[in-house]
Amino acid sequence: MSTMARGTTAGSPASASAVPRSEAKAPLRIVASAPGAVSVAGVSHTYDVSGRVTKALDEIDLAIAPGRFVVIVGPSGCGKSSLLMMMTGLTKPTAGTIVCGGRPMTEPDPDVVGVVFQEASLYPWLTAQDNVEFPLSLRRVPKAERAARAREKLALVGLQGFEDRYPHELSGGMKQRVSIARGLVQNPSILMLDEPFAALDEQTRITMGDELLRIWAETGKTVVFVTHSLSEAAYLADEIVVMSARPGRIIDRIEVALPRPRTYEMMSTPHFAELRERIWRQIRHQVSEG
Amino acid sequence: MAAAFRRSAARRLGGLLSWIGLVGAIAAAWQASLWFGVMTPELLPPIGEVLATAVSLLGRPAFLASVGVTLAEVLVAFAIAVPLGVALGFAISESSYWSAILKPIVFLIFSIPKTIFLPMFILAFGINFGQKVGFGVFSTIFIVLISSFSALDSVKSDHVRVARAYGASPWQIAWRVYMPAMAPILLEAVRLAMIFNLTGILLAEMYASRAGLGQLIASWGENYMLKELLAGILLIAAAAILFNEAVRWFEARCEHWRS
Repeated sequence: MSTMARGTTAGSPASASAVPRSEAKAPLRIVASAPGAVSVAGVSHTYDVSGRVTKALDEIDLAIAPGRFVVIVGPSGCGKSSLLMMMTGLTKPTAGTIVCGGRPMTEPDPDVVGVVFQEASLYPWLTAQDNVEFPLSLRRVPKAERAARAREKLALVGLQGFEDRYPHELSGGMKQRVSIARGLVQNPSILMLDEPFAALDEQTRITMGDELLRIWAETGKTVVFVTHSLSEAAYLADEIVVMSARPGRIIDRIEVALPRPRTYEMMSTPHFAELRERIWRQIRHQVSEG
Repeated sequence: MAAAFRRSAARRLGGLLSWIGLVGAIAAAWQASLWFGVMTPELLPPIGEVLATAVSLLGRPAFLASVGVTLAEVLVAFAIAVPLGVALGFAISESSYWSAILKPIVFLIFSIPKTIFLPMFILAFGINFGQKVGFGVFSTIFIVLISSFSALDSVKSDHVRVARAYGASPWQIAWRVYMPAMAPILLEAVRLAMIFNLTGILLAEMYASRAGLGQLIASWGENYMLKELLAGILLIAAAAILFNEAVRWFEARCEHWRS
């Protein structure tokens, strides 16, 4: 399954995205309208807290080809989550444009982008099934269709038989599985995840990473994943986007040469260590500053 | 599922049994205090006579008229205080400016016993229906305001964001996120509001009134009509408990997810 997903992305035009920034804009126009493509152009964000203007994001350009798994990593406070929220259309940047699947993201568009948030974003008063149905019920999808689609996605994330459980009856990992199912239920071409496994213990975290890779390979979605974990970034990504501390800038884009499917053993290869080192070298002094 | 149902059924049966036990124990203590001469029938009439009086009260037109007066006051005050309190509470919470100014004031006033303002209500309104309702609203609205503040605080911004990410309209966010999140706290507010409301109105009736249950209770006490007094207390207590338990039952259904 995973080799199939690789096959669809290998030939796509923007897969050579480690090119210098000035050239990165050229192939961008070609892919921007394709389903699953993400283009961020000239995005800056400033906000002011009681008169003091702070620059949070500075001239972000990022093109993501359909079907890729891109991880954004950076020190805390670098604006990586803010950038992701802008890519989902939930917040607006002060300058620049964001286009997902050919649509400008001036507001959330659940047909294009499914979002998975950090822990505890499930509605505690709804069962797993009803949580996954929630986005569909907002759009008045008929009940039978809604139920069938939610069950299918719950099965995809490995939660068959847990449909009637409430969030407080599920473990942290299972809750995030429900969140992923909810993100996929409208069948968007892009899935965006904001530190989804940050609150999980390390073992669950590794398992959930594997699960996400399996789901990604099975569905062929474009995945944009924000994390502060270097290992998670290196283990999951096709490409790692490294951001600097405030104001957030893209300071490196790294192609991950590890083959698919990824296995736990790869974490002890020299290449994996190099990847971690390369990221750490660039953000280390900023972390200690923060 | 079945096991959970059996457990909750067993818990409910246990609750019912402990209720029956409590009522039985009170009745037994009541009678025993008479048998052993701790109390005399002049101070504490036998429970059977009190219950018989309660039944006969329910057949007396004068008593039922008083019930009608009090019920009307309670319902009107409740129908004003709860929606008004919730609306004001939300309006204050939504504005950080008014929150900063008004929330501390609401908490300050809440700490003052409302009873000391009763004479002022008589001076302002006279002794009538409007005065009882006014004092009922005044006694009730602060607890509703404070509950509304915490109800809104209990809505997680994450939950609102999820709904927005999936394209919810403001109306859908209000109905599908705010309402279920706030329901348990708002129902608790309804319950507390009724307790404060009943207390305020009965007190106003006992203090100065021409009609109503509070006035009856006060005059039975003054005239040493113990059987009527105790029967009246039992009936009012039963009605208050019934309302409270009904709302609590509904509350439990709405907040099963909060554990």
